[in-house]
Amino acid sequence: MAMWKEFSKGLWAELPPFRLLLGLCPTLAVTTTAENGFGMGMAVVFVITLSSFIVSLIRKIIPKKVRIACYITVAASLVVSVELLMQAYAYPLYQQLGIFVPLIVVNCLILGRAEAFAGKNPVHLAVADGLGMGIGFTLSLTFLGAVRELFGTGYVFGVEILSGSFEPVEFMIAAPGAFVALGLILAGMNYLSIVKAKRRGEPAPENPSTGCHACRACAGHK
Amino acid sequence: MVLTSVLSLLALGFFCAVVLSAASRVFYVEEDPRVEAICDALPGANCGGCGYAGCEAYAIAVITDPDVSAGLCCAGGAEVTVAVSELSGKAAGGDDPEISFRRCVKDEGKVEKKFGYQGVLSCTAAGLLEDGPDACKYSCLGYGDCVKACPFDAMYIENDLVVIDPEKCVACGACINVCPNQVLEMIPRRARVQVFCSTKDKMKAVMDVCEAGCINCMKCVKKCPAKVISHVDGQIRIDQAACLAYGPDCEEICVDVCPRDILRLMCPVGITAKAQEAAAAKKAAEAAQAAEAENPQPTA
Amino acid sequence: MEYFLILISAIFVNNIVLAQYLGQCPYLGCSKEKGVSLGMGGAVIFVMVIATPLTWLIQEYVLLPLDLGYLQTIMFILVIASLVQLVEMFLKKSVPPLYNALGIFLPLITTNCAVLGVAILVQRKEFDLGLSIFYSFASGLGFLLALVLLAAIRERLEVTHLPKSMQGVPAALVMAGIMSLSFMAFKGMIS
Repeated sequence: MAMWKEFSKGLWAELPPFRLLLGLCPTLAVTTTAENGFGMGMAVVFVITLSSFIVSLIRKIIPKKVRIACYITVAASLVVSVELLMQAYAYPLYQQLGIFVPLIVVNCLILGRAEAFAGKNPVHLAVADGLGMGIGFTLSLTFLGAVRELFGTGYVFGVEILSGSFEPVEFMIAAPGAFVALGLILAGMNYLSIVKAKRRGEPAPENPSTGCHACRACAGHK
Repeated sequence: MVLTSVLSLLALGFFCAVVLSAASRVFYVEEDPRVEAICDALPGANCGGCGYAGCEAYAIAVITDPDVSAGLCCAGGAEVTVAVSELSGKAAGGDDPEISFRRCVKDEGKVEKKFGYQGVLSCTAAGLLEDGPDACKYSCLGYGDCVKACPFDAMYIENDLVVIDPEKCVACGACINVCPNQVLEMIPRRARVQVFCSTKDKMKAVMDVCEAGCINCMKCVKKCPAKVISHVDGQIRIDQAACLAYGPDCEEICVDVCPRDILRLMCPVGITAKAQEAAAAKKAAEAAQAAEAENPQPTA
Repeated sequence: MEYFLILISAIFVNNIVLAQYLGQCPYLGCSKEKGVSLGMGGAVIFVMVIATPLTWLIQEYVLLPLDLGYLQTIMFILVIASLVQLVEMFLKKSVPPLYNALGIFLPLITTNCAVLGVAILVQRKEFDLGLSIFYSFASGLGFLLALVLLAAIRERLEVTHLPKSMQGVPAALVMAGIMSLSFMAFKGMIS
C-alpha cells in the first residue's frame, strides 16, 4: 500500500518534469520525436530505479559530508552502463540522443530523488519511488515528444496522423518549439488544477511553478 | 582491462579525496558555529526569498546584523522562524513580545481617493504614481504588499486597510520594510500609547485630507514627563521601551493633550480598542452566563 | 579567425542554453533577478574555464593511453565535483569578495549539465587544448548572456497581468522560446 503510494505520486501529483521541474535539459532536448523521448525516458527509468535501490541500500554507511559525491558516483556508474548497453543494442537511438546520454548523470531528477527520498527511506519504498518517478518522466517525455512531432511533422511514432492540407510547423521541432510547448503544457496543467480546485469549492491552489518551488527544483541539494 | 579501469578509478577517487581533505585543512576558515547551525535549520533551497543571496548569506546576516529579522525565510515558514530565532537569539516572541502595528486610520479620517488606480495591484507600484491614489501620501495603500510578505498569514486587507491578526503575528518583521509608506511599525504588545498616524505633514496639510490624522503639533512631545516622545524625521515617534520603563505615573498625559485624539491609549495586550471592546463584551457575556448558572431563575 | 568564429558561434549561433538545451535548471531557477543571474553566469564561466582543460588533460593523458574511453563520464563528473568543492574552499580562504559574489552558486554548479556538457562536447569535437579553453569560455559567455537577458525579461513579467495559470515558469519558458527563436536568426551567419 505504502509502496503504491510512493509509486503513484510520480505519475501525476509529482510528475517530474511538469510538476517538480526536475530534469528539464533532456526534457527539452531529446523530445523532437515521441520515440526519442521514450528512449530517453527508459534510460532514466533504468538509472533512477537502480540508483534509488543502491543509495537506499548504502544510506547508513555513507558519511553525511560526502553523500552527494557518493550519489554522483553511483549515478555515474549506472549511466556508463546504460551508455554501453545502448551502444550495443540501440545504436541509432544512442546517436540520436547524443551528448544527453552521459548527461543523465547530472540530471537533477536522479540526484534530487537520491537526496530527497532514497537517502532517507527503506529499500522497497525507494525503489517504488524511483520507478514511479522514472515512469512519470518517461510518460511526460513521450507526451511532449508526441506533441512536438505531431505539430512539427504530422507524424507520431513514425505514423502519419495529420496529412493532406496540414502544413508541418517546423518551429515545433526546432529549439524554440521545445520551450514554447513545455511552457504551454505547464500552463495547461496549472489551469487544470485551478479548475479542479474550483469545482471542489476550494480556493485555487498556489501556482505550483511560481515562487521558491521553481528554483527549489535544482537547488534542493548542495 | 577490468583491473586497469578499477585501479585508475580508484586512483582518481583517492587522489581527489586526498586533495580535498588537504584543501579543507589548508583553506580552513573559522566560522561562527551558529552560522552552520542556522544553515541546517534553513531549508537550504537558496531561493533568495529572504532578499539575501542564499541561505548562508542570510544566516550570516541574521547573526551579525541586529536589525535583520529572524522571520525572513518564507520558504521555511513558522517552524524555521522559531528555530532561527532561537539560534540567533532574536525575538520572535521572546520576553517582551512585539506585534506589527499599522499607523494609519484613513477609514476614520475619511481620506478620499485622488484618482481611480487601475495599475499593478501592489502598494509599491501604486505608491510610485503621484504618491499613491490616496489623498494622503502617507496612508496605508491597501494593496497588500505586506500581506504577501507575511509568512504567517497574519495579515489581511479589509476596507482598503491592512489588518493584523494579533493571534497569528509573531513579530517576524517581514512586513515592516515592504511597506512603501512605512506605515507598519513593530511595537511591544504591552505598549501603552501609540500614534495611530504616520504622516509627516503638518496642520492644515493634514486637516485638508484626513479628519483624524496627526497634525504634528508637538503637544505630546512637550508634555511627556519622561521625554520619550520625540519628533523624528517629520513624524511623532514614541520610544516604547522607555515609555514602558517610566511606568504609569504620567497618567498618559500625552493622550489627554492630543487635540486630534490620534495619540491613543492601547489596550493591555497592545491591540486596538475594538479588540478590547470585544474582549470586554466577551467577559461580560461570560459573567452573565456564570451568573445565570448560579441563579437559574429566568430574569425578565 | 578560427577563434573569432568559435566565439560568435558559441555565443549566438549555438548558444548552449537556447540551441543546445544545456543548463536548463539554473537557466529557469536563477533567472528571477538580474543580480543573481549575473552571479550564476560568472560562476559558470569560472568553473567551466577551469574544468574543461582539466578534463581535457585527463582524457588525453589518462583515459586514452589506458584505453579507458568508456570511463569518460564517471571520471569527468568526479573531477568536476571535486574541482568545484576545491574552488569553493580556495575562494573562501583567499578571495573572500569573489566568494561572496559567487559562493552560493558554486555547489549548484556540480549538477549544472552545461559544465559537464561542454567538457564532453570539446572531446566530441576533437578540439586541441587552447581551443577547448577558448570554447568553454565562449560557451560560458553565451550562458551568461542568455541568463541575464531572461532575467531582465522576467523582472518585467513580474508586474504584468498574466492569466493565473501562465504565471511564473510557464511564462518564462515561452519567453525563452521566443528568445531562442530570435537567436535562430543568427543561424545562417556561419556555415
